[in-house]
Amino acid sequence: MTEEKKPEEKKKRKTATEAASKIGPMVKATIGGTVQAREEGKPIAYSFICCCYDEIIRAMDIVPVWTENYAGVCGAKRDAQRFLERAEAENFSRSLCTYALCGLGFDAWREELGEMPPEPPWGGQARPDMMLGSGQMLCDPRNKWYQAAQHYMPDIPVYDAGAPWPPYEDDYDYREVQDYYVKYIVEELKGLVKFLEKHTGRKMDWDRLSELVDLADRTWNLIWETYELRRAVPTPMGTGDAMNTMVPMVFMMGTQEAYDFYQELNDELKHKIANKEGVIPDEKYRLIWGGGLPSWFALSDFNYFNSKGAVFPVEVTYRMVEAIYHFDIDLSKITDPLEHIAWRWVKFWTYWYDKAKKRLGSHPDVERLIQYIEDYKIDGIVMHEAFSCRSWHVGLIWQLNLLKKVYKDIPSLILESDIVDISSYNEADTRARIDTFIDTLEAVKSQGR
Amino acid sequence: MPEEAAGKGLAVADRYYQDYGSRARELKRQGKKILGYLCAFVPVEIITAAGFIPFRIKGDVNEPITKADTEMETIVCPLVRSCFDMSLKGSYEFLDGIVIPHACDSICRTYDVWKYSLNLPYSHLINMPHGTGKPSLDFYQALLGTFRTSLSKFAGVEISDRELIQAIKLHNQNRAKVRELYGLRKASPPLISGTEVAKVLIASVSIPVEESIKMLGDVIEEVRQRGGVPARKSARIMVVGAQVDSIAFIKLIEDSGAWVVADDLCPGAREFFPDVTVADPIEGIAERYLRKVKCGRTYREMEGNYEEYLEDRFGHMSRMIKDFNVDGVVLYIYKYCDPFGFEVPQIKSYIESKGTPVLYLEDEYSMSTIGRLRTRIQAFLELLGSK
Amino acid sequence: MSQYFAGIDLGSTMTKAVIMNQAVLASVIGPTGPEHRKLANRVMEEALTRAKLPFADITYVVATGYGRINVPFADKQITEISCHARGVSYLLPEVKTVIDIGGQDSKGIKLKDGRVVDFVMNDKCAAGTGRFLEVTAEGLGVKLDDMGKLALTAKNAVRISNTCTVFATQEVVSKLAEGMPLPDIIAGLHEAIAARVYSMVGRLKIEKEVALTGGGAKDIGLVKALETKLGYSVLVPPEPLLTGAIGAALLGKDIVKEAEKKGETLPRSERRLTEATFFT
Repeated sequence: MTEEKKPEEKKKRKTATEAASKIGPMVKATIGGTVQAREEGKPIAYSFICCCYDEIIRAMDIVPVWTENYAGVCGAKRDAQRFLERAEAENFSRSLCTYALCGLGFDAWREELGEMPPEPPWGGQARPDMMLGSGQMLCDPRNKWYQAAQHYMPDIPVYDAGAPWPPYEDDYDYREVQDYYVKYIVEELKGLVKFLEKHTGRKMDWDRLSELVDLADRTWNLIWETYELRRAVPTPMGTGDAMNTMVPMVFMMGTQEAYDFYQELNDELKHKIANKEGVIPDEKYRLIWGGGLPSWFALSDFNYFNSKGAVFPVEVTYRMVEAIYHFDIDLSKITDPLEHIAWRWVKFWTYWYDKAKKRLGSHPDVERLIQYIEDYKIDGIVMHEAFSCRSWHVGLIWQLNLLKKVYKDIPSLILESDIVDISSYNEADTRARIDTFIDTLEAVKSQGR
Repeated sequence: MPEEAAGKGLAVADRYYQDYGSRARELKRQGKKILGYLCAFVPVEIITAAGFIPFRIKGDVNEPITKADTEMETIVCPLVRSCFDMSLKGSYEFLDGIVIPHACDSICRTYDVWKYSLNLPYSHLINMPHGTGKPSLDFYQALLGTFRTSLSKFAGVEISDRELIQAIKLHNQNRAKVRELYGLRKASPPLISGTEVAKVLIASVSIPVEESIKMLGDVIEEVRQRGGVPARKSARIMVVGAQVDSIAFIKLIEDSGAWVVADDLCPGAREFFPDVTVADPIEGIAERYLRKVKCGRTYREMEGNYEEYLEDRFGHMSRMIKDFNVDGVVLYIYKYCDPFGFEVPQIKSYIESKGTPVLYLEDEYSMSTIGRLRTRIQAFLELLGSK
Repeated sequence: MSQYFAGIDLGSTMTKAVIMNQAVLASVIGPTGPEHRKLANRVMEEALTRAKLPFADITYVVATGYGRINVPFADKQITEISCHARGVSYLLPEVKTVIDIGGQDSKGIKLKDGRVVDFVMNDKCAAGTGRFLEVTAEGLGVKLDDMGKLALTAKNAVRISNTCTVFATQEVVSKLAEGMPLPDIIAGLHEAIAARVYSMVGRLKIEKEVALTGGGAKDIGLVKALETKLGYSVLVPPEPLLTGAIGAALLGKDIVKEAEKKGETLPRSERRLTEATFFT
C-alpha cells in the first residue's frame, strides 16, 4: 500500500478497495461515451455536480458532460497547464477557479480549431447542445463559467437553475423560511424542464422522473450506510478511495449503475471488516479530511499518509448525502418529484442546524466535524486550501479555530495547493508538512491525551 | 475659496473621507444605532426605514492586511479581506450589527467568519438569488420580508410601509443628486475631477442619507460656482470595475495626465444611477436591486442572440462612453474576483467592438503595486494620444 | 543645422543609450546596478564621447525604462512600451507584434501602422523573464550565456511543472541529481519561459510578423522555444537590447517635428550632466 506515483511513469495509484480501482476505467468510458454521443447526435449538456438536476437530465436521456470532472481528469493526468495557459491568453485571471479555466481554455481552443485540441485527455470534452448552470450558494463559477463559455459558443443556450438553501442564522430558525426556498427551487426546476423540452424536442416523462428520484433516495441511504461502515477499526477504506468512489454519487446519481456500484462497495467493505482487513495493517492514526477538494494530480499523497501509519476513515468532501430517513420530515410523503428534490436539497443543507443550536457558539459545519470525530474515533484533522476555489476553501481556518474553541484542541494540518494547477504544488514541501504533522500526532498519542 | 468660508460641500466630503467613520462615531454617541454593510447590493432603504444608519464598510489600500489572515483565507477577494482586517483592527468599533448580501462567494462564504469574529448584537445575510426571472424576484421579495421582520425585531418596532416609502424617496433623492453631479463631468474639461467625485461618493456612503443629500447638493453648487478646473489633460477615461473605495487609483490616472470622467463602479454610476420606481416598496426594492443594477454577480437571462445579450449586459457602458465623450476605458479588476474576472473577455471585446480602447488591469487592491500600475496607465495614455 | 536625438533606456538589469540623427551614431550598453541615477549621466557621457558631440548639441532627450523618472536631464519620459514599439517599427516595419523579454519583466505590444494599439506586461512574476533563467542557471551551475546553446543540444525537453522560479530551481536541481541530461533540463526551462510569455502575449491575438527584443532575444534557445510555440519564425533586430533606446530617440524626434510644425517651443531640461539627487 506504499507505492508512490512518479509523475513521469504512468503508474496506477494503488487503492484500498476493488470498487475504487474500477472508477478510472468507468470515468474514461463515460467521457468517451460523451464524445460518441456527440457523433451520434444525442443531446449533450454541460453540467455541474450537486445542482439538483441529476434525475431530471437522466429522465430525459440527456447526456451530461461533467465539466468539473473533465478538468479534474486533466489535472490528475497532469495535462491541464496548456488549457490554463490558453484561458490566461483569453484574459481570464489565473486566480479564478481552475476547473473553469481548464474548461474555458479547452473550449476556446476547440472552437478555434473546429476540432478537439491535439491529444486531448481521454478523447476530449465534447461540444454541447446546451449548458446547465446553477445560481446558488455553492459557487460563483456555477453561474459565470458557462456564461463565459458562450463567448466561444454563442449559439449554445444556457439555463441557470437557482437552488439556494437557508443560511444558519440566530435571528430566525430556518424552518420559518424553508417553504419559500422550496417554492423557489421548484419553480426554477420547472423552468429547467421547459428549457430542456424546448432544446431537445422531447417531453418529460414524469413517472420515470419519480422512479429515478426514488432510486436516488435509495442510493443516498445506501451510500450513507456504506460509508458508516468505515467506522470500523481498522478502517476498510480511506479518503484516497473515496475520491474515486464519489464518482457515481455525483456523476451518476439516479442510475441503476450507481446504486449497484455502492451495493458492491458495501459488500466489499463488510467482507473486509469481517476479516479485520484495514487500509493498512498497522493503523496508528485515524484522520478526518475536514475540508477542501483534493489536489487531483497528487492523490498519491494519501498513500504517503498511509506509509506513515495514518488513515482517513472519513471525509467531509464529496460526502454529499445523508440518510433520508434521518430527516425531520417524511420525504416519502412528497410524491411530486420536483418538490421531493427541492425538499431533499433543503433538508440536506440544513441537516446539522439543530445540532448547532444545542451547543453554545457552535456552527453546523463544526457540528458535522465533531460528530465524525467522535463516531470514527479521529485523532487529527487535515484541511486542504486550494487557491482557486472559494466555494469549498473559504472558512476552513475559521472552522478549525471554532472547532478547537467549542469542542477540544485537536491536532490539525492545513495543506496548500490547488485542485488542477500543478504549478502551485510542491511535493517536497507537502511531504515535509505531513511528516511534521505525524510527529505531532505521535506526541499527542504518547501523552495519552 | 467657498469651502473655507462655509465648511460645506467638498470640505465636508474631504473630512468624512479622511476620517472615515467619524460621523458614525458622533451619531453613535448621540444614541443612534449603526449597521455596517458590504457592497452596493444591501437594500439600505430598509435599514434607513428601521431608524438605523447604514454604514458602508470599506477597506484601506494603504494598510497591509495582517489580522484578517488569522481567520480568513488569502484566496478571498482582497477588498473583502481588507474590510475584514479594518474591522478587526477596530476601525468600525461603533457598529451595532452587520448586513451582508449574497453578492459573491468572497462576501457570502465569509459571512460566518464575519459573524463569529465580530460577534455583534445583530447580523443578517440577505441570500439574494443570482437569477432575474419572476421566480427569483418572488424569492427575493420573500427574503426581504424576512429581513424586514428580523430588523423590526432588532429595532423593537415594526417597519411600516409608510416608513419604507419615505426611505425609498430619500435614497432616490440621494441618487438623483449623484446623477446631477455626474452631469458636471460631461463638460470639456469636466467641472469636477474624478478624484473629487470619488472622494465625495465614498464619504456619502458613510453618513445618513439625509446628510448625504445635503452634502451632494452643496458640492454641486460649489463646483458650479468655482468655474471649472484649469488643467488641460490628454484624455477622458472611464473606469470599470467592482468596488473602488479609495481615491488612490483614480488619482493615479489623473496624475498621469488624464481626466476620469465616467465609471461603472461602486460607489459610482452602477450604484447610484438606477432608482426604485415600482410603487409597492418591497417589490420596488427587489426589482431595483435584482434587475436594474447591472453587475456581474447577477445572472441576466439571454433573450435574443448573443450580440443582443452583450448589449443587454453592457450597453449602459457604451452609452456612457458616448454621453461622457470617453476616449479610453480602464478595466480595473481585483485578483480573486469571480463575478468580474469571468466577464473580462466579454466586457473588453464588447467595448473594443464599439471602437474604444480598453486597458485591462488585474490588481491586488492595495496600493503597493502603484509603480507597475503607473507604467501601464502611462503607456495606455500614450497609446490614446497617438490615435 | 543638424539635429541630434538621444534615447536612454534605464532597464532593471541593463542601461542603454543611443544618439541618432538619420541613423544611430553611437550606442552604449551597461549594467544598471542599484545606483541607476548616477549611471544615467555616465552612460550619456560615454555615448556623447563615442558620437563626438557636446551635450549642448543634443536637440531632445527622451528617457524610458523602469528607471526613467531618475534621469534628471531628460526632456521627456515615455514608457518603454511606446519606445519599443517605435524602435521596432523603425528597424522592422513589417512587424505587428513585439515580444520583449527583459531581465525582470516581459511585455507584448501590438502594433498597427507603427503605433501601439494594445499591450500586456508581466513585471510581477520572475517566471517569463530573464530572471528565471538567471536563477535556474545558477542553481544548475551553468553560465547564463551558455544556457541557450545547451538548450539546442537537447534530445527530449523535460517538462518543468513549477512556474515559481524558486520552486522550479529546486525541481531542476533534483532532476539533475536523478540523472536527467542537462541539455534536456535546460531546454525544459526555455520551454517553460516560452509558455508563460506565449500565454501572456496571447492576450493580444498575435499577428505576424513577430519580433523578439530584449535580453531574451539573445538567447538562441529561447528564440527557438518561442518559434516552436508560435509555429513560425520570429524576427530579431541586429542589437535587440537597443530597440527601446532607439525608439526613445525617435519619439523625441517626432515630438520636435510636431512642435516645429505648430510653431511651439518645447520645454527642455538643462543641458547639464549631473548625478541625480533626491531633490532633483
